[in-house]
Amino acid sequence: MKKKNSILGMAFFGPALVLLTLFLFLPMLLTLGFSFTDYFALNPELTHFVGLENYINIFKDDLFVQSFLNTVKFVIIIVPLQCGGALLLALAINKAAHCKKYFKVAFFVPVVMSLAVVSTLWMQIYSPEGILNTLLGNFGIDPQPFIHSADQALPSIAIMSVWQGVGYQMIIFLGGLQNINPALYEAAEMDHASGWQKFKDITLPELKPLCIFVFITVTIGAFRMLVQPMVMTGGGPDHSTYTLVYDIYETGTVNWEMGLASTMAIVFTVFVVILTIIQNVLTKDKEERKHGNKKAKAN
Amino acid sequence: MVTKKQKRINWILVAVLLVLSIFFLFPVIWMLANSFKPDAAITADMNSIAAFIPPALNGNFFDNYVSIITNTSFLRYMGNTLLYAAILIVLSIIVNGLAGYALAKINFPFRDQWLMIIIMLLIVPTETVITIHFLIIAKAGLLNTIVGYILPLIVNPFNIFLFRQVFVSLPDDVYEAAQLDYCGPVKYFFTMVLPMSKTVVATVSVFTFLNVWNDYLWPSLVFTSSDLLTAQIGLNSITSNENTTMGQTLAVITLITIPVIIIYSLFSKQIVEGVTSTGSKEG
Repeated sequence: MKKKNSILGMAFFGPALVLLTLFLFLPMLLTLGFSFTDYFALNPELTHFVGLENYINIFKDDLFVQSFLNTVKFVIIIVPLQCGGALLLALAINKAAHCKKYFKVAFFVPVVMSLAVVSTLWMQIYSPEGILNTLLGNFGIDPQPFIHSADQALPSIAIMSVWQGVGYQMIIFLGGLQNINPALYEAAEMDHASGWQKFKDITLPELKPLCIFVFITVTIGAFRMLVQPMVMTGGGPDHSTYTLVYDIYETGTVNWEMGLASTMAIVFTVFVVILTIIQNVLTKDKEERKHGNKKAKAN
Repeated sequence: MVTKKQKRINWILVAVLLVLSIFFLFPVIWMLANSFKPDAAITADMNSIAAFIPPALNGNFFDNYVSIITNTSFLRYMGNTLLYAAILIVLSIIVNGLAGYALAKINFPFRDQWLMIIIMLLIVPTETVITIHFLIIAKAGLLNTIVGYILPLIVNPFNIFLFRQVFVSLPDDVYEAAQLDYCGPVKYFFTMVLPMSKTVVATVSVFTFLNVWNDYLWPSLVFTSSDLLTAQIGLNSITSNENTTMGQTLAVITLITIPVIIIYSLFSKQIVEGVTSTGSKEG
């Protein structure tokens, strides 16, 4: 029986294991291995082991440092706007007595559109003679260059990304708000708690694990910024919207410098893993209780 | 219990949200309205409320759409993407489903360790390995082939985990009963397990479809031949063509969004549930 189970288990798990090995384990090992070499994919014979040289060099490379700083700028703009916006929208919609369904759909619409579609649409909206400049002109504001200037391109793309993504986190928060036990509010009302007190003492603490989850996922999402600048600006003007992942992608698949690209990918991955670990640590105790409930519900 | 004051606040809240939602949706409304106009009309309407109103229904109403469909390969790109999505849905249900079932119900060696590894793999972002995927597929001579595009996308630790979580709570006595009927484990999986788990099968299918439909980076790396492009990459090649007008651009991005809207309206319950319970399934 035991032997039968191991054969059966491997037969069921085998196909996935083969693909996992080929497309996850092996690539992860190769990325790590390549990051210590000067592997150039067009001339693999000349590969040398260079130790930590790549890790030192990328931080001396102006373009990498700029792409890193740009990515940080994206994170700094996107995270507060998207998390805060999603929370405020969810709180407002949860309280609204009418049109709840319409609001949920309305703010979710951009989520449905792909990154490439949204980027293409906003290129038209941000164009010098476009609809946004026309609208602003009605308020006496001079035409803005938006994605065509090194100063405005990054914030323009960041705000567009918030517009596209905020509905997703709004739905997560709405789910969380609906999961709060109404008895808590009823008890608070008995004690004549004010609206603000109820929000501060019940809503916020109950939403805390969700807030951390949303904060981290939005941060990781912003960290992965690539398609929007790729479609809209090609990383420009003057590399002002060139991001970390963009640099990995171009170094690896356009310039074929797999050694350097792997080093960047490792640095990027380390950041993502650290963020994920922070999230797990911060939400652990509450998550476990919640997860138990969810599993019961899912069945 | 609702006081007059609360009622008034409520109305103000609804009013504010209504105004906000209109501002929020202005790009989408503008896109839809102007996708039916020639460029001259788009520019002429720009400075009035007409910018947000579609033109009167006449013979030229669908001109932009017709010219996209007849003059570009866009329908072909949409067809390609549907085909890739269909293949991937079937393969990922089989591969990830079988693995999830093994991790849930079959007591094979190192099962718990494998499960731990799968959970740890959830952290690894695709960007870490995508250049290596490209290298592997290029070395295997599979660039510009459907196989090369699909192969790295089949296995997905998240889907394995999702299947495992559902399968683990399936009752064991059904399996024992099925064994008495001499039903082999593979047959049992396809005729009993999957049909009993319609929700998770639907969830995995929907998210696989959305991933394939919206993905940009991987297809742009694998496909350079125009015959095989997915809709998102084809979109780029159409809009970057100088002969494409603004109205046609808006028509093409509307067309590409229609299938996703259909999927969202059919499966909104699964999607919202997926979003709220896991939240981590993005792009």
